[in-house]
Amino acid sequence: MPAVTSRLASYAELVVRVGANVQPGQTVQVNALVEHAPLVREIAEAAYAAGARFVSAEYVDMHVRRSFIAHAADEDLQHTHPWQLARATSLEGNALIMIAGDPEPHLLEDLDQRRLGRARPVEALDAQLAAQNGRTVNWTIAAYATPGQAEQVFGEPDVERLWEAFERTVRLDEPDPVGAWEAHVEKLRERCRQLNERAFDALHFSGPGTDLRIGLLPDARWSGGGLDTVDGIGHVPNLPTEEVFVAPDWRRTEGTVRSTRPLALGGTIVEGLRMRFENGRAVEVDADVGADAVRGQMEVDDFATALGEVALVDGDSRVGQTGLTFFSTLFDENATCHIAYGAAVTFGIDGIEDLTPDERRARGINVSSIHTDFMIGGPEVAVDGLSPDGTPTPIIRDNVWQLR
Amino acid sequence: MSDERLERYAELAVRVGANLQEGQMLFVGSQVEHAPLARALARAAYRAGARYVDVRYFDDHVRKAMIELGPDDALTHTPEWLKALVNAHEGQATIWTTGDPEPELMADLDGERVGRARMKEIAEIMRAQMERREVNWSGLAFPNEGWAKQVFGEPDVERLWEAVAFCTRLDEHDPVDAWREHMARLERRAAKLNELRFDALHYSGPGTDFTVGLLDNARWMSALFRTASGIEYVPNLPTEEIFTTPDCRRADGQIRSTRPLALAGDVVEGLQLTVRDGRIVDVQAEKGADVIRGQLASDERAAYFGELALVDGTSRVGKTNITFVDTLYDENATCHVAYGFGIPEVFEGEPGDGMNVSTVHTDFMVGGPELAIDGVTKDGTRVPILREDAWQLGE
Repeated sequence: MPAVTSRLASYAELVVRVGANVQPGQTVQVNALVEHAPLVREIAEAAYAAGARFVSAEYVDMHVRRSFIAHAADEDLQHTHPWQLARATSLEGNALIMIAGDPEPHLLEDLDQRRLGRARPVEALDAQLAAQNGRTVNWTIAAYATPGQAEQVFGEPDVERLWEAFERTVRLDEPDPVGAWEAHVEKLRERCRQLNERAFDALHFSGPGTDLRIGLLPDARWSGGGLDTVDGIGHVPNLPTEEVFVAPDWRRTEGTVRSTRPLALGGTIVEGLRMRFENGRAVEVDADVGADAVRGQMEVDDFATALGEVALVDGDSRVGQTGLTFFSTLFDENATCHIAYGAAVTFGIDGIEDLTPDERRARGINVSSIHTDFMIGGPEVAVDGLSPDGTPTPIIRDNVWQLR
Repeated sequence: MSDERLERYAELAVRVGANLQEGQMLFVGSQVEHAPLARALARAAYRAGARYVDVRYFDDHVRKAMIELGPDDALTHTPEWLKALVNAHEGQATIWTTGDPEPELMADLDGERVGRARMKEIAEIMRAQMERREVNWSGLAFPNEGWAKQVFGEPDVERLWEAVAFCTRLDEHDPVDAWREHMARLERRAAKLNELRFDALHYSGPGTDFTVGLLDNARWMSALFRTASGIEYVPNLPTEEIFTTPDCRRADGQIRSTRPLALAGDVVEGLQLTVRDGRIVDVQAEKGADVIRGQLASDERAAYFGELALVDGTSRVGKTNITFVDTLYDENATCHVAYGFGIPEVFEGEPGDGMNVSTVHTDFMVGGPELAIDGVTKDGTRVPILREDAWQLGE
C-alpha cells in the first residue's frame, strides 16, 4: 500500500526534522511498543538520512510487561537493571523519540492496580527525566494510530479515520508539512513573546459555569512552540502542540471553573467537571460523571488540589477542530485552553534546579506527584489578562486570539 | 495457530532448551515479528520461576536503514549500555528465536557492508561467556508468513508449524521425555567416534574433495551442554548432529554447499570454497558470494574452520525433505561444517592452538545422499562413517 508507506514516511520525516530535530552525529533512541514497528522503521530511515550516527529501536512489549507485573517479586517491581540506567544516561547530548498510542487499552485492567502503579524502573526513569528537564536531550513524543485507540475514539476500530485525524492535527495534510510547522511554531513563539511582554499579574476566564482568576508568577515565562536544549537545539516535544503554557502562582487561584470537554483519566471518563477554588485550593469538586476519579487523585498528596499549569489554545487548534476526544493527553490537552492541577511545568522558570520542594512552593511553584490537565476553553469562554491594578486586556474572545 | 501448541513450544524451550533454573533471569532475543513466541517464552519462564525476563527485540528494517543510510562507523557501533546488557547474561539463561520474516530484505544492499555490519564487541563478550560456559542458552524458530513463503512458495504458516512441531518432537505425547531419549542416542554416536580416535575426516561428493584434521584433545559431542555450574541444556531445538572442533591448521581441498544458506538477511546458494593449509583462499557462489567474502574479512581468523558436524538420514529435519533456509534447521538436516570460531565445549581443559578463535561462526551444509565421509586413522586407513545418508558405525 504505497499511500500508507508515504504517509508514515512523511510523518517520520516530521518527527525527526521538526519534533526531535536530530542533528548530524547524534545517536537516536526510539522508545516504542512492538506494535509501532512500521513507524519506527520509517523514523530510522529518516534519522539516518538526517545524519544520525546510530539509531536504536527500544521496543517494549506490554504482554511481557503484563507477565512481569503478575509474577515479579514485590521488591523487584521498581528495580532498575544496570543496562537500563546506562541506556538512560546515554541520552545526554543525543536525541530521544517516544511513540504513544496504546494498542490494547484494557490489557492490564485485571492486574493488581497497586502493583501496576509501582512497577517502574525508578532510577532509570529519573535519569531520563533529568536529561529532559536539564535540557541535555532533544526529545519528542509522537503517536501511532492503532485499532485499539480507534475503537476507543470512534467505537469501532477504524484506524484509517484515526490516521486522518492524526494527519490533520500534525499538519501532514499540508503540501510542505515541515514548512507549515515552522510557521506554526513561530506563531506560538510570537504568542509567548506577546504574553511575556505584557507580564500580566493574573488571568481571568469567564463563561458558562466559569469565573476563574489565576495569579501568575513574575519570573515564570510562557513557553510554547518548542524548547531549546542547552546546546541550542530547538525541538518540539509534542506532535501535535497547539498550546502556550506557564506555571501559575499556586496560591492565587480563586473562583469557579467548568470543564468544556471530557477528560480521560486512568480508564474513566470524567464529564462536566466543576471546581471551586479558594486561596489556590480546589475546595469543591463535582462532575456529571466520574467526580470520584478526580477526588481520588487529589487525595494523593497535599498539593494535588492546587494548579501547576495554565495553557492557552484558541480556535485555530487543529486538535480542537476535529471535535474528537482522543483519550490521549498528547492530543486532548491541545484541543482548547486547559489548566492542570498538581505539579508545575518548570521549563519557563530559571535558577530553580537546586531548590527543595518546600523552597519551590514558597516561591509559588507547585510540587506534587500529580499533574492532570483538563479542558476549560471554547467559543463561550473569554480569557483576559489582568494588570496588577486589575485592568483587563482581552486575550481570547469567541475562540480568537486577540493580542497583536 | 493454536495457542496451546505455542505454550507447549515455549515450555519446551524453557525446560529442555535453556533449562531455566528458578531465580535465574531469562534474556530473550527476537525479531519484532516473533512477538507471539517471545510473549509465550516470558510466560513460561515466569511459570518456571524466573526472577526477571528481558525481551530484546531486533528489527531488521532498522538494521537495513543503518546499512543503507548510516555512516561507516554505525556498522560496528556498539552502545555501552548494550555491552552492560550482554554482560548481565553471565550466570543467567538466554533464548534467541529464528525464522526470518523477510529473507530477501537485505538482498539489494551492498553485500560487503551487510557482512561488515556486526557488533564485534558484543560477539566477543558472548564468545567469552560461551568459553567460560557461564550461560545456559537455547535457540528455536518461530514459524511466520515470510519464512513459510520462502520455504513453500506460499505463506502456509500452518504447514510450517507442523514441520517445526515434528522436528522439535512437539508431536510426541511427552516431548520432554522424547527429548531425553533422543539426546541419549546422539550421545552414543559421539562416544563411538571418541572411541575410534580418527586423525582426520575425508569428504567426497560432487564438487567436494576435502580433508580436515581432527584434534587429539577435542571430543565429539552431542548438543547436550553443561554450564560450569552444572546446568544441562540443549542449545538448539531441534538438534540432530554430533560435532567436534577440527584442527584449524589442517584442512585442504574443495568443498561445496548442498543447501541454501540464509545469512545476514541474504541467501547464499551454490557456495564453493577452496581451502589451503586450513584457510579458505577462494570463495565462489551462484548467489551471495560477497556476503561470505565480507564475513571472512571481518577478522584475521574468520577464514579458518571451527566446526564439523555429522547428521544422517534418521534426522527428523532431513526426513521432512524441506529446505528451511534457516541454519538452525538445515544444519540438522545433513552434515555441515562451519568457518570461524571453534566450539570450546568439546575440549577437556585448554583448547590449545588447534582451536580457531574468531568473532564469526557460520555453518553451511555439505551433506546429502551423494556425500561420503570416511574417518582416516593415523596410518591412513579409511573407515566409512556415512554412506548414502546412513550411519555406518552401528547404533
